[in-house]
Parts: sequence; structure tokens; C-alpha cells
Amino acid sequence: MSYSVSVKKMNEILKELQKDYKVYAPKRFEKRGRYSDTDLIRYAEISMVEEIVYDEKADFSPKEVIYPITQTLFYFTEHEYKESKVHDKGILIFARPCDINGIKRLDTIFLENGDQEDIYYKRLREKVKFILMECKEGWDTCFCVSMGSNQTDNYSLAVRFAENNLLVEVKDEAFNNLFANEKTTDFTPEFVTSNQVTVKIPEIDNKEILKKVHDLDMWESYNSRCGNCGACTSACITCSCFTTSDVIYSENGRAGERRRVWASCLHEDFTEMAGGHSFRNTPGERMRFRTLHKVYDFKARFGEEQMCVGCGRCTDRCPQLISFATTINRLSEEVNKLKNKKVSQVQAASKEVE
Amino acid sequence: MNHDINIKELQKNCFRQSKVPGEFMLQMRVPGGVIEARHLSLVQHIADTWGNGQFHLGMRQTFSLPGIKYENIEAVNEYIKSYIEDIEVELCDVDMDVNDKGYPTIGARNIMACIGNSHCIKANIDTTTLARKLEKLIFPSDYHIKMSVAGCPNDCAKAQFNDFGIIGIAKMEYDYDRCICCKKCVETCAHHATGVLSVEKGKIVKDTCCCVGCGECATVCPTGAWTRNPKKFYRVIIGGRSGKQYPRMGKMFLNWVTEDVVLGVIGNWQEFSAEILNHKPVYLHGGHLIDRAGYDKFKEMILKGVELNPEAEVADKIYWAETEYRANIHVKPACNTK
Ligand code: SF4
Ligand code: SF4
Ligand code: SF4
Ligand code: SF4
Ligand code: SF4
Repeated sequence: MSYSVSVKKMNEILKELQKDYKVYAPKRFEKRGRYSDTDLIRYAEISMVEEIVYDEKADFSPKEVIYPITQTLFYFTEHEYKESKVHDKGILIFARPCDINGIKRLDTIFLENGDQEDIYYKRLREKVKFILMECKEGWDTCFCVSMGSNQTDNYSLAVRFAENNLLVEVKDEAFNNLFANEKTTDFTPEFVTSNQVTVKIPEIDNKEILKKVHDLDMWESYNSRCGNCGACTSACITCSCFTTSDVIYSENGRAGERRRVWASCLHEDFTEMAGGHSFRNTPGERMRFRTLHKVYDFKARFGEEQMCVGCGRCTDRCPQLISFATTINRLSEEVNKLKNKKVSQVQAASKEVE
Repeated sequence: MNHDINIKELQKNCFRQSKVPGEFMLQMRVPGGVIEARHLSLVQHIADTWGNGQFHLGMRQTFSLPGIKYENIEAVNEYIKSYIEDIEVELCDVDMDVNDKGYPTIGARNIMACIGNSHCIKANIDTTTLARKLEKLIFPSDYHIKMSVAGCPNDCAKAQFNDFGIIGIAKMEYDYDRCICCKKCVETCAHHATGVLSVEKGKIVKDTCCCVGCGECATVCPTGAWTRNPKKFYRVIIGGRSGKQYPRMGKMFLNWVTEDVVLGVIGNWQEFSAEILNHKPVYLHGGHLIDRAGYDKFKEMILKGVELNPEAEVADKIYWAETEYRANIHVKPACNTK
């Protein structure tokens, strides 16, 4: 069932919901952006419709809600340890289709990768219900349509924001009673059907091509462009890497905590091992790793879908103005060239035989 | 041609004497160095009609038009009336009557500024808007003052070499939980700034004493762990100057002050100058004026009625470091032989 709800009424409903849920949405942090007098939009708890930034893309993804940047796993003393706890409320997240699909990728990584579920992820993830924010147009860096992540039916509520009211589709019956007195309407969310940017996924279908992709000249061009800052991976809804470390408290050297903190494959020390040896030593190599991870490895391993959902945040946040869509398309072109070269070599060889 | 020309009078109207007798260069004010491009056609018209067809981008960000003949100055002054109205009255809200006689004074020099945060990725403040507010405070005053506004401590505006240099700074705030210990801020602070950041237990600590408030750490932080406190702060440098005798870089007078403090201080300049110069506006660098008054007296007068914000820091003493082109330049005959 769908309803037309005034902002005032929706705020009352949010208030009601907050008894049982923490509600997260993209929120504006004024003048907290990277550059002076720019705003930062990121996920945070909200209590009113007016706080939700629905007409701009958030700088950071909603992954921070369920996969916090810094997370204490457990506390320890000499002889004991105690697991950290999370709050006992449910979680509601206002999210776009790309992000909901992105969290599906995170589920795969954290819950279906090997035979161990990541309990620290799971304990927050299983609380989550999504409120879909209808996304009909997107922005100039989005390429969700190319990635097939522009649509979803994984939501409890779906909303369209209008000037003074919201159209709400209630899919999850648990929320029906909240809307019982509202005017019904026939709203179902629409999805973006074409982006300004289209991306062609490289067809890397054998090891031989993969090896050649590894050695492409194009990666070197990033040596002078990419600053290895990791802004792209921090903003990415599907990046999941972290570093685990023990922190010993200063006041008492015998007590401490184990925590995990996000990491980035773009950072210089990401592949560094004891003794200082690293596998990937240049920005280009790190860029190659990230790109292939997003549009090759994940699918090769899990089968169904690419890791990247085309949200375009990596492009939005890159201070060096590197477009990830362009990077993928460049790679596709190079792969095509490699394949054509092979075909013409085979043809030439067969001609000789004739 | 009339060779009896009162060059002092013309200089007051912002016409500078040329090496060619009877020719002058007009210096048109551009407070903060930014105006609408449409004004260029007016500048071109003056250069083509009365000047020598060229213009110099003046060292203090004026439009400088050389080769204007003495007999054309009246026509030029009439012509620039609309420009003075547009820039001074409309844009900067300066309280003045604009007439056909051109610029009323050259005392307070054009306020320079870098492009600031309307464009620059390093900037912390809107330099253009501040320069325009300052223009309203100092123009048209016969008392000399040179000012420059820089968007950040990089100081592309050379605030260090002005009577008053105003530098935009930011209080940085750290969100412990957002930090992923990538050390980018540590590296950039050491490389571009003061090296006050270091890693401790997988997070960042800061020696707050010496942070210059440049904002580099926020600019490089991938997660938004470092952000600028939205409140705007300023550093005020005083007494810098170039010159033949003993040029010197300015010294920090105020740190972490608000815009109100900056405006209050500059608002007091005219009264301070008048008092020290016995109400005779003669050309003297601000630094010399401060020297003449003595720093303590300067501080007292310039901060009169100014309410300092809680974060503000004020220099206790100032030790100037002049370039002495000749050793013992300050050692002079004890009895005046003049
Ligand atoms: S990628 Fe862009 S257009 Fe697509 S769902 Fe996300 S925000 Fe909307
Ligand atoms: S790689 Fe870029 S476009 Fe793809 S999901 Fe991550 S941030 Fe979005
Ligand atoms: S955001 Fe841009 S510069 Fe920074 S690591 Fe990613 S690609 Fe490189
Ligand atoms: S604002 Fe302070 S801490 Fe940050 S880079 Fe500049 S001097 Fe270093
Ligand atoms: S740049 Fe940001 S994330 Fe990296 S160490 Fe500094 S504060 Fe932490």
C-alpha cells in the first residue's frame, strides 16, 4: 500500500519509529567539506525529514552505519576478555538503489566469503531495514544502469520526496499501522533507466588476457596522477578492507582492546609485510588492483555480479579528478585491442598455412 | 605644453609622475583584486583614448594606465566617475561623494588579496569579501596604509610584506572514530606546514601549540576525520615592508582572531596614525609608524574598544628582523649635524 504523507506527519512517524530504531540518512555537515565553505554530506542519525539530504548525492556511503570506520571488537586484560556490544535497537537506513545493492556486495564479502561469517558485521547488519530513496535521475558520475544496480526490491519502505509531502510505499507489513490514517495513493518508486555515463565492462575471459591486462601501459599513467590518498575507497559502498590491531591503554599497560579500522588498497603500506617488502609498489599497480577487484575479481570469485555498483562516489571524491568510469572504459578498450590483436594473429597464421 | 604641474596634487588623485615630463600613470583601485570583467572595456577605453594603449597590472593589484598626458587628466577623471561609483560605492559600500575630480586620495593604498576560497583549494576564507569590507573602513583616508589579505598561510598575497597582512586560518577538528591512520595528514603537515601531527596508538595526536591553521590536513584526509571548524579565524601580521633602507618581513600581532576583531583593529588605524603623526597625513610605512609609537603604545591604541574573542592570542613583544643592507644602519651620529 502507498500513502501520501505530510512532512509534519512523517516527522511524527519518525518519532514513533525512533522508539525502536535508530534512523540513518544522508545529513548535511555545514562547511565541513574538504575545501573551505563546502559542506560534507554523510550518513548520520536523523530525527526529522528536514535533515535528510535527498537532492544531493552523499559524499560517503551508508556502509559506515553497519561497518563503522573504527570498531572495537573486544576488550582485554591479563586474564580475561570481554566482547564489545552494540545497541539494542533496530536500524533504518534511507538509501538509494545503488547503495542497497552495494550492501548486498558487502554481505557477500562479510557473510558468504569462506565458511566463517563475520559476526561483527552480522550483528549490525541483521538489524537493518531499508527505506528506499527513489532515485530517478542520478548525477553526472553515476553509472548504476551499466552495472545493473539501478533497481532493487530490497526495501521496507520507499519514499519520494516532494515539496510539502512524501509519497511512501509500505512494503513491510510491520509498518502498516503507522500509516493507517494516511491518504492512500498509487505510488511505486521509479528507477533511473539511463545515466549520463555508460560503462563497458572489460571481457576478461581467460588467464592469458588477464596476464596481459596486468602488464598494460595504461596503469603507468596513474603513477603521476593518483596520489594514493584512499578517498575513493573510503567513499565506496563496496570497499570492505580493514586492519586489525591491538591497542594497549596508556594508563594501564595490561589492558587494552582489539579493534579494526578501515584500510585502503590505494595506500602505500597496504601490502607491506614484516621486513618492509610490498607487492604493489606504484600508484599504477594499486590502481590496477582496485580496478580489477571492482570489475573482475569479485565476479570471477562469486559468480553473479560485479563488485562495483556504479555509485560514482569514488569519482566524486577523487581530489586528482580521476574518473573511475573512464578508467573502466579505458580498460575495456585495451582488452578489446588485445583480443583483436590475437584474432588477427590467428588469421595471419592460418593464412600462412593456406 | 604646460610644464608647471603640481605633481603632489596629481599624485593625490592617483596619477603617478612619469619619466617623460607631462605624462602620468593612473592607478585605478581594485579592492581585493577581483571585479567583474566588464570593467576591462572601460580600462581599455582609457588606455586607447588617453594613454599609450597599454596597461600594467599594478604591483598592488591596481589597473595602472601609463602615458596619460597632463592635459587629458581632467577628461580621464570625468570618465572614471562611473568606475569609482561602481567599485567603491556599489561594491564596497564606501561612504564618499563621487564627483568629476577622480580619486580623492591615494593615502590608503589598494587592498590586495589572493583569490581566496571562491576558487582556491587551499584557502580558508573569502578574501574578496573581506577586502571589500576593509576598503569601506580605510577609504578614502589620507592616512597611508598598505594591506593584503591571504586565504591561507601559504600567503600568496604577501601579507608578510604589508603594514597589515591578514591571513585566513582554520581551527581543525579531529574525529577520532573517522580516522583510518593513513598518515596522510602527518605527511602533509610535515611537508607543507609545521609537522605538529604524529601517530599514537593507531590514531593521530597533535601538538596544538604550533598548528598554523592552514587546513592541509583536512584537504588530504580521505575520510573527513579532519574538518575545519566553520568559524572563520584570522592571523594579523604587522609592520612588513619592502624598501631601500631596511626591508623586513612582518611579525605576528594577532592569532586566532575573528573578523570582528580584524575590522575593529583596522577601524582604529586612522586614529592611531593621526595621533602619531600629529594629524598630518604624511607618507610613512606602517612599520615605521609602529616603531615611532613603540609597540606597546601601538597595541594599546589599535586594540582600543576591540573586544577580543576567547580564542584570540596577542603578541606580547615584537622583535623585528630587518635586512640591514649596511651593517650598523641604526647607529647614527649622536649629535644632529644637520
Ligand atoms: S548510482 Fe546514481 S542514479 Fe544510480 S541509484 Fe545511485 S545515486 Fe541513483
Ligand atoms: S568503485 Fe566507485 S562507482 Fe564502484 S561502487 Fe565503489 S565508489 Fe561506487
Ligand atoms: S581518490 Fe583518486 S587520487 Fe586518491 S587514491 Fe583514489 S584514485 Fe588515487
Ligand atoms: S592545520 Fe595545523 S595540523 Fe593541519 S596541516 Fe596545517 S599546521 Fe598541520
Ligand atoms: S589523513 Fe585523516 S584518516 Fe588519515 S591519518 Fe590523518 S586524520 Fe586519519
